Formats: sequence, C-alpha cells, structure tokens
Amino acid sequence: MKKLIKLTVNGIQREIEVEPRQTLLEVLREDLGLTGAKKGCNQGECGACTVLLDGQAVSSCLVLAVRAHGKTVLTAEGLATDGQLHALQQAFIAHGAVQCGFCTSGMLLSAKALLDRNPHLTTREIEESIDGNICRCTGYVKIIEAISAVAQNKNS
Amino acid sequence: MHLPRFQYQEPGSLAEALALLAENQGRCKVIAGGTDLLVALKQRRHLPKYLVSLDKLVPLKGIREIDSVVTIGALTTMAELIAAPLIQDKLPGLVQAAREVGSPLHRSLATIGGNLCLDTRCRFYNQSSFWRSARPTCCKMGGKVCHVTNKQNACFATYAGDLAPLLIALRASVKLASSRGERVLPLDRFYTDNGRHPNQAQDTEILTEIQMPAPAGGVTGTYKKYRERAAIDFPVVGVAVALQMDQPTGTCRDLKIVITGAGSRPVEASLAAQKLLGQELRSELIAEAATTAAKEIRPVKTSHITPRFKRQITSLLVEETIKELGGIDR
Amino acid sequence: MSQYNVVGKGLPRVDGPEKVTGKAVFTVDVSLPGMLHGKFLRSPHPHAKILNIDTRAAEQLPGVRAVLTGREIADVRYAFVDTPRYPADEQPLAVDKVRYIGDEVAVVAAESEAIAEEALSLIKVEYEILPAVFTPEEAMQPDAPLLHENKFTGTSAWEDWGATQRVNTYETETTHRNLSGRTFITFGDVEQGLQEADYVREDCFQTAATAHCAMEPHAAVASYDPIEGKLHLWLSTMGIFLKRYNLSRALKLPISRVRVHHSYAGGAFGGKIDVFPYEFCAAYLSMKLGLPVKIELDREEVFTTTRQRHPIKIHLKTGVKKDGTIVAQDVKVIADNGGYRGSGSIVIFLCHGFSFPIYKVPHYRYEGLSVYTNNPVRGPQRGHGAPQIRFAIDSQLDLISRELGLDPVEVMLKNVRQKGDVLPNGDMLNSCGLRESIQEAAAGINWPEKRRQFSPAPAQERFRRGVGISLCAMFSGAMYYPFASAAIVKLHDDGSATLYTGAQEMGQGCYTTMAQVLAEELGIELADVHVVAGDTELTPIDIGSFLSGGALVTGNAVKLAAADARRQLLECAAELLGASVEQLQVREKKIYLKQAPERFVTYTQAIQASVFKRNGNPIIGTGSYKGYPETNRYPSLAKGKGLFTSAYGFAAQTAEVEVDTVTGQVKLLKAVTFHDCGFPLNKTIVEGQVQGCVSMGMGQALSEEIILEKGQLFNPSFLTYRLPLATDTPETIDGLVSTLEPNGPFGAKEVGEGSVAGMTAAIACAVHDATGVRVDNLPITPEKVLRALTAREKALS
Repeated sequence: MKKLIKLTVNGIQREIEVEPRQTLLEVLREDLGLTGAKKGCNQGECGACTVLLDGQAVSSCLVLAVRAHGKTVLTAEGLATDGQLHALQQAFIAHGAVQCGFCTSGMLLSAKALLDRNPHLTTREIEESIDGNICRCTGYVKIIEAISAVAQNKNS
Repeated sequence: MHLPRFQYQEPGSLAEALALLAENQGRCKVIAGGTDLLVALKQRRHLPKYLVSLDKLVPLKGIREIDSVVTIGALTTMAELIAAPLIQDKLPGLVQAAREVGSPLHRSLATIGGNLCLDTRCRFYNQSSFWRSARPTCCKMGGKVCHVTNKQNACFATYAGDLAPLLIALRASVKLASSRGERVLPLDRFYTDNGRHPNQAQDTEILTEIQMPAPAGGVTGTYKKYRERAAIDFPVVGVAVALQMDQPTGTCRDLKIVITGAGSRPVEASLAAQKLLGQELRSELIAEAATTAAKEIRPVKTSHITPRFKRQITSLLVEETIKELGGIDR
Repeated sequence: MSQYNVVGKGLPRVDGPEKVTGKAVFTVDVSLPGMLHGKFLRSPHPHAKILNIDTRAAEQLPGVRAVLTGREIADVRYAFVDTPRYPADEQPLAVDKVRYIGDEVAVVAAESEAIAEEALSLIKVEYEILPAVFTPEEAMQPDAPLLHENKFTGTSAWEDWGATQRVNTYETETTHRNLSGRTFITFGDVEQGLQEADYVREDCFQTAATAHCAMEPHAAVASYDPIEGKLHLWLSTMGIFLKRYNLSRALKLPISRVRVHHSYAGGAFGGKIDVFPYEFCAAYLSMKLGLPVKIELDREEVFTTTRQRHPIKIHLKTGVKKDGTIVAQDVKVIADNGGYRGSGSIVIFLCHGFSFPIYKVPHYRYEGLSVYTNNPVRGPQRGHGAPQIRFAIDSQLDLISRELGLDPVEVMLKNVRQKGDVLPNGDMLNSCGLRESIQEAAAGINWPEKRRQFSPAPAQERFRRGVGISLCAMFSGAMYYPFASAAIVKLHDDGSATLYTGAQEMGQGCYTTMAQVLAEELGIELADVHVVAGDTELTPIDIGSFLSGGALVTGNAVKLAAADARRQLLECAAELLGASVEQLQVREKKIYLKQAPERFVTYTQAIQASVFKRNGNPIIGTGSYKGYPETNRYPSLAKGKGLFTSAYGFAAQTAEVEVDTVTGQVKLLKAVTFHDCGFPLNKTIVEGQVQGCVSMGMGQALSEEIILEKGQLFNPSFLTYRLPLATDTPETIDGLVSTLEPNGPFGAKEVGEGSVAGMTAAIACAVHDATGVRVDNLPITPEKVLRALTAREKALS
C-alpha cells in the first residue's frame, strides 16, 4: 500500500507516493529523475548512493523512502547554487579528483557533511570522513587534495 | 535485490509499538537505523510481514546522567554518541568504540540498540538467497546442518558487534520492554551464545535503553578493534578492557576483559582477568593474562580468518590494551 | 613542456562539470519510455547438465513480458576470442549444460526489476549434477570431466577483413585435457644457456583471482525500433565499435542497423570488453518485444558472473652470470580460465608479451597454458598478465641478487633493454625510458639508505621497514577490430572546433586529452573544443580502450585530423595574404606572416574565404591511424610471432613498506612510480591514472583476493572483497620520464594500465627486505606473513 511522503529535495518541496519497500535511492533515481546518486552495491558498502539527509551523510540505499518524510535531502544536483559550482565541486575539477565520476556525487556529499560540521581538518580526518566512499579510479590521492584545499580556504 | 514487500507501521508511542509486536508476534521486525536489517531483507534472510518503525519513539532517544547512572536511549546513533559531551567526558572509551563501527555513512544511521542486537554472522549465512540456494539450508536459516563445522542442529555464527564488549566491561544493563511490562538484564546476560538466537530479546520486546554506572574515579575503559581495513569491515577480533587501578600502589582493583568476533556471543576472559586482580601490573603478568585470554575464546571459522590467527590477535590486543590503560611502557 | 600551449598541461577535464553536478549520464542512468527490465536465472551448480526448464509459472506472473531460455537461441555463439585456433565458446544462455556457478540459464523481461526478480523464483530447472574441477591441475588430469565437448569453427575479425595469417594451422590442443589455450615460444637454446650460467634458480609463484571493482555495475539498455529496423544500444564499455561488431554478428543484424549511443562508463579496467549475455539478451528481447529493455547486474553478479583476473601459477627457472647478467630463462605459466575461455588464450601470450620487452634474455623458452575449470570466467583486467608475470620475474630477480650479494637495482640496470633494441618478434623500441626510470624510482625511495639488504645488523624491532623495486611494460595499442582509429574535426565560424571521436570515456580522461591534442595542433584553446564522442553513428571508428591504444592510436588520428584542418586554413590564409604556406604561422586563432606579423587574417576570415572560394567548404579535417602501422598478418598468440605493437610504455616502481611482525600486517608507506609514457598529454590526468594504478596494485598485492570454495565465490561484495579505502592511501610519488616516442602524437604513448604490474613484486620484495621472509603467493596477507616469520624462527632455532 503506497504512502504519501513530503520531503524537501535540493530546496524544493516534493510530494510523492511511495511503496514502503522503496528505498530513498530508488525514489530519487526512478521517481524524481535525480540520477546523481548511484547504485554501486545496494547494500551500504560503497558510498556511491550517499546523499545528505537533514545534513547527515547517509547511504540512501539503506534508507526507506518513507523515513525521509518531513526531512531535507541534498543530492549532487543540488550542490551548485545560482549557477555557481560549490567550492568542493570546483576543487574536484581543479585538482583532477574526478575520473570516471561514478563515486563523485557521493564523495562530494560526504566531504560537504564533514566540512559543514568541522572546517578544521587534518589529512587523516579527511581520509576517515570518506572511508565509506569507495573509489577505484583515483587511488584517493587527488580527492584528498581537493578536500584539503577547500578546508584550508575555509580556514584562511 | 529489491526489498521484499512488507507493511510499514509507524507507531507514535512505545505502548503502541509494543501492542503491534504482541498482536503480530513472530511476523514483525522492528527497524531502527536499518543498516543491518535492510541488508538482511535484501538478501531474503528475513521476510517479516510487518516492519515496525521506532523513529517516532521519543523516549528511546537521549543521553542523561542521574545519580551517577548514565542512561543512553536505544535509538541514539553512533554519530550522536560520538558527539555527545556527556559520553566524551564520562565514557571516552565508548566514543572510541562507536567510531569503529562500519563507516561514517553507517554511523549516521546505526543505533546503539541495533548494534547490541546485531545478528550473528557467518560466511555461509550473510549471502544472497541465490548464493545460499547452492547448498542445503543451514541451521541458522532453519535447516539442519552447519556448513562451517558440518555438525547437525548447531549454529556457530559469530557475534561481531563493536559496542557490547566495552559496555559489558563497564557493567551495563539493558532494559527490554514488552506490552506486559519491562525487565532489566545485565548486558552480559543478554547474550545467549546461540548462533541462531544470539540474544534474549523476545520478538514481542523492544530494547529501550542502556544503563551503566558512571565510571568511578580510577576507572578507564577502551576498545581496540583489529580488522583488515580501517573502515566498513566488521571486527576480525575486538577487545574491550575496563580497568580500575589503585594509583598509589599501581595494583589492579578491578579488571574486565571482553572479546567480540570470537564466538557466538561476546566472551568475558575472566580467567585472564583473575591473573591480574589485586596484582601489581607488570609486563610479564600482563603477557600471561593475554595468553590465557586467547585460550578462553573458541573461534570458529565463520569467516576466512583462521581461529589460530584470531587467538594470536586476541592475545596481542589484550596485552596492548591493558598496558595502555595501565600506563605500562612496552 | 613549455614549448606547447595546451598539451602537457594539467588542464581541467572537459567532462568535469557534468560529473560533479550529477548530470553525467552513465549507462545505468539511461531510462526510456516503456522500458522493461531484465533479470537472469543462474546456475547454482558449477557443472551440470540441464535436463529441463519449466518457465510457465514465471510467464504467468503479472508484469512479466517474456521468459527466454537457451533453446530459443541455441545457435548463437560469441566470445572475446574467436579465431580458427580458438573458436568462440560462449552462448548467451546455457543450452545443454552449465559450467560455473552463475552461468546464465534463463532471462526474464518484466515491467519492473522487482517483478523480474520475483519471476526468477517461479522458474523450475532440473539439473543433473556433473563432477566438477576447480584447479588447472585437476582439470588437466586425463580422466578429468570435459568442460567443452564440442568443437566449433571459429572465424575472426582478421579473417573477415581479409587479413590472412600465413603461418597458421588450426591444431586441436591435445597436449592436455581441458586446455583453452597454449602458447609456446622459444629462442636461443635454453638448456645450453642454463648450463652456461654461473647460478641457476628455480621458483614457483602463484597469484590470486581479483576483481575489477568498477564502481558502475555492468549494464546494457537496448531499444529496437521495428519500423526503422534499427537497434539502439547503450553499453557501459571500453570499445563501442568492437561491441557493435560482435553483437551485430550474434544478432544477425547488418552492422549499419546497430547503433551504440554515447554514455559514460563508470570505470572498466578491462572488465567491460567481452561480449556479455546481458548485452545480447537485452538486445534480443528488445527485438522480440519491440520495447526497450534494460539489464543491470547487481554487485554480486558483477563479482561472480562478469570477469576476474586470471590466477596464474608461474614456474620460473633463470640462469645468470656471477655479475647478474641474465643468460637463460625457462618460463612455465598455467592460468585458471574458469568455465569459458574469456581471454585465457591471450593472457598466456601476454605473460610473455609483458616480460620480454624489459630484460634481454638470449636463451628463452616459454610455455603458457590456460585451462578450463568450473570456476568463474577470467578475462582482461588492468595489466592482463603483467601483474602476474612481473610479480614472478622481479621477485626472483631480487632473490637471485641477494644470493649473489648484488643490488637488484644494479642487476636490473645490467639487463634492461634500451632505445633502439629490436625485440625477438620484430617490435622496435623507438623509445625506452627504463634505465632512467629505474634510477629515478630508486632515488625517489632513498634506496641506498632504506634498503635493509645492506644493513649490518638484522632487524629486531616489532615494526620493520624495507624497500623493493619492480619494472613493467605495456603495449600502446595493437591490431584488433576495428584495427584503427579515425577522427573528424569541424570548424565553426568563430574558429572553435568540434572533435568527433569514437573513443569512450571510462575515467581515463580521453575526451580531455584528445581535445588537447586537437587544440594544440590547430592552435586554439582547450575551451574552444567541443567533443562529440562514443557514438557509432556520429563518430568514426575507434580502436577502443582495451588495447591501451588511446594515446598513441587515437591521439595520432586526432592530431592528423587537426593537421588536415590546419592545412586547409593555412592554404586559405596563404591565398588571402598572397603568400606561401611556409611563410605563415598561427597564434590565438589568427594566421600571421612570419616576417610581417602585422599582416594577418583571422580563422573566421579564412573559413569565410574557404566557403566562398572553395565551393562551400567549411573546413572539415579528417585523420586516421592504424593500431599497428605496418602489418600484413595478425600476430600469433600461440607462437608469439608477428608484430605486437609500435610502442611500449614502461615504468619502474619502488615501494617502502612497514611490517608489523606481531600481527603480520603490511602497510605500504610510500610508492614511487617513474613512468615512461613518452610525453604526458595532460599532466594531471596522467598522475591520476598512475595513482589509481598504484592503489589497485597495492590492493592486489596485499589484500584483494576472490575467495573460492568449490567454484563458489565467498566474497562477492565490497564488504568482504578488500579493495583499498581512503585511509589505505600511501604516500604516492609519480614521476615522468619523457622519452618522446617518435610514433606517438607529441611523443605520447601508453599510460593508464602499466603501473599496476610493478606494485606486486615491489611490495613482495620490500616485505622480504623488511623481514627476511618471502611470500610467493598473492595476496600477501597478515596470516601468510606471520606463518613465514614463524617458520623462519623455527628454522633458525
């Protein structure tokens, strides 16, 4: 039996009927056309489906869509504002932190959740914050550099 | 795999939730963080008719200290535990243990109640339904045979939760509520050592809170986890130690050593602890205790790590942890 | 590098904005109106006859549109390798029997993926279980069950294209049972050479099956339009033209009636070039039902039923002189192929192909066997034989050096090839930076200080450090369908350009590097280039990314197309300025007289002139380049004869590890790679590729392993398959040795595949250096290290 849920996605109020068994990832991708969050494993083990739920980075494949009722969701599509890329998005491009791009949405959001909470970061803290986001292309080096650069800019 | 069909219920109060569990006994599962349960559902290891959400149960949230008793609501997430000033101040070891759970993404959702009630794990069990169809149903899934040991009617699945060891070492208790009332169990009695039914919670009960005495002066506790990677992985072996030192004399007043990942329940290495109780903490004695601790576990090869290696690591972690807490140089 | 305006620079990727905003469309993101979803029913048995399949209940489930079994398509056969010697041995759905756990038995198309999944449990299959074999040794026994009984006739792309091989007779391999391939190569006299050697060493090494772990799961979307009779495909792949070729043949469609549309591939690493059942079935079902069909594999299916790296056993016997000069080498390689050939016959050739460009070996014998087993199927994976063979060769060379009291760096320098060498098969090394790479990589890790081998005192501490070194080589393109890359450039009124290339982006940054090549040649900025890529209708042929030919082959095609457009521009400008082309130079979209720079025309003016004066020609440039410049026959994988590639990329890699001798854990502290890629087309992209290679190499050296028991994969998930996480990142140094390959565009050649291979031996040798113990089978897990340390303690006491 479907339930009506109301949630704010990338700043826009959405109302949508969902089955209890639909995950937030499925609703985002299939019902709302927001394919930035990716299904890498569907078991919460890779981070490709990361979105921010009320500001916290979560694996959206492990969140029932009905649980998102009344909450705010931020996806990669919502990071840029007023036609301007978010500092993290700019840094990822500038530092070569994007290769195939499949993990990128999740990485950006995990990094944002970290920086929003704690702008003062060591390299180790950055690594730990993205430890749930797997990347096979980059070896993480340039991703860590990009996030560091944004963290340092925030401090100066 | 998509989730199976279920009816989703969102009770607004604990009483309502308990009534649902009583009414639909055996066909419900409660869902808190969902990080373990939803994977189980996707792999068709459970097929509940009803999923009862605990999201609206306000009494199950919150952390407080009253009369030197710390109470943690079962719905407290790992992230909330790590950030809570009271826990950072009074139970830094618990912050450490919470930081070891899964990855940052798990910690946003996973709850302390859920972690304590984690199902036991085994390489033959934690697989998809297609995978498991290649061999006869195992004991944990309701069949007869254990594929690890080839024994009949016995399950050796391993408990691998990260929080239980330290909480047991700190003498925590859990409160279980049902529509017929509440009961409080010391956490070390909560676990059954039964791979199929790892804890005492009945399917009409909800674990609502965890309580423990605020550690008195001189008590320190910590948790060390050995795993292959620094995140995501469950422990190969995890060791928690709570130690009360008598500072002037350097003797051990109280010591509890609890090990996870090495049996169907967290194991208390009481013989090892006895070696050190009332004694001055010396390297050689600690090493002896560590060797004893390794003999008190009976790991079964439920993952691809050999029991022998688990014992080696257990001994190492016990030794390191006691030395660290006791301030003994290596 | 400063001589160029655009190439070489670490300019930001052109596909960056799309990818950081979540807008980039990957195959899994494609959704079409009315699209159905497919799911496979798979065999739970490693080896079994199919007696009967009853699909009636599944067909009745509401929402199910079709259920397909092998019976209906029993004549379809395809494979990555399809030659007269090695005919195609795969079918989209099993017909008579299944050969590994996961083998496809039926496919359901339904209105939703969830319904398709449900329908699977309604299909009833009767199996007769057959005895199975799980190691090459078992499979080669004379009484072993036979996995492939029937013999088929293979064709091949070369034969189709009229390239005949003069020396080729199709021989049935009877040397061993269940052989899927055999390579035998010899030159000199290895027995004599071993006799003449001062020191001979014999060792055995074993590597594990590993997974690609591309983050995007394998998927295909097919949409057949019955009115126009055309099949539209979206494939996450590394070679759209090879896929179009193979699928059109399998589906019996003319090649012009098959179009592969552009979509980004979320990583591939070699795992997305074989023809897969989900591609064929999506297409076939779409043709049958007249609706789009999408099949997306779940992660367990990706681990189990796509491809894995071949586990290989290497037996190595090497003879050297006292000073470390290699005199003779006898190599035996046995690869565990799995239930189908995949790339087995290729990997056993490449284990030779990636070793002989590195050291000069006068007397050599090589035998490679790939063997069918009832394990999952093995195919190309980044390095494709190189990580395995380099692990063996450089581990042994390190052991030999130690026995002779020599420094392995010096021994390597004595034996490495150099520019100008002609390899035994005829390949010429027109560029080779091995010597410099070795020296730089050694210096980068502080080899003399850090190498324990020369320390006076043995290590006693718990945490011990050591260093190791290894070398690797990789082809820069080779000859396989479509045999060449081509490119088209069209200029716009304002002098900007659109590049049409059949390359497909899977992370390697080819849209950007090719745009840079174009911009440099045409004298414009990167921002002036728009790339249209990866569509078999819109773009010309491309060699694909599975032969490491992106930089050299496609790069050359693009450069030639740009040069063609540039020539036309200059000719128009020459007319307008009343000069000759030689008197002109180009800068910032203007064409100047060298001697009188105040006289110029803009690109716009030149284009206008071309349109008005040359019958409407808006200036379109074309270019093409073959996978190998000179060839009249294709190389023999079985005999190692023929020319393989026109250039080799090289790398030297050093590693510093710290071993915890109490837990056995090995931590890679620092990895130094000095890579000879000729010339880096984009410095940042090249660095990123090498960093990714190092990470994968580290993972496969230390923790990655597909765990199989009786053909069943026990760790088909990111939780249990231990690939590196962010906190595992070592200090990574990438350095470039610029050798300027004459055959390459701006001197560029291969990068992006090679530097996985040097990590395995570098780490194994570093562990030995740190602890005195050697682990000769991958991965080097803590348990293996502890076991080796304990064994040595016992031996010493």
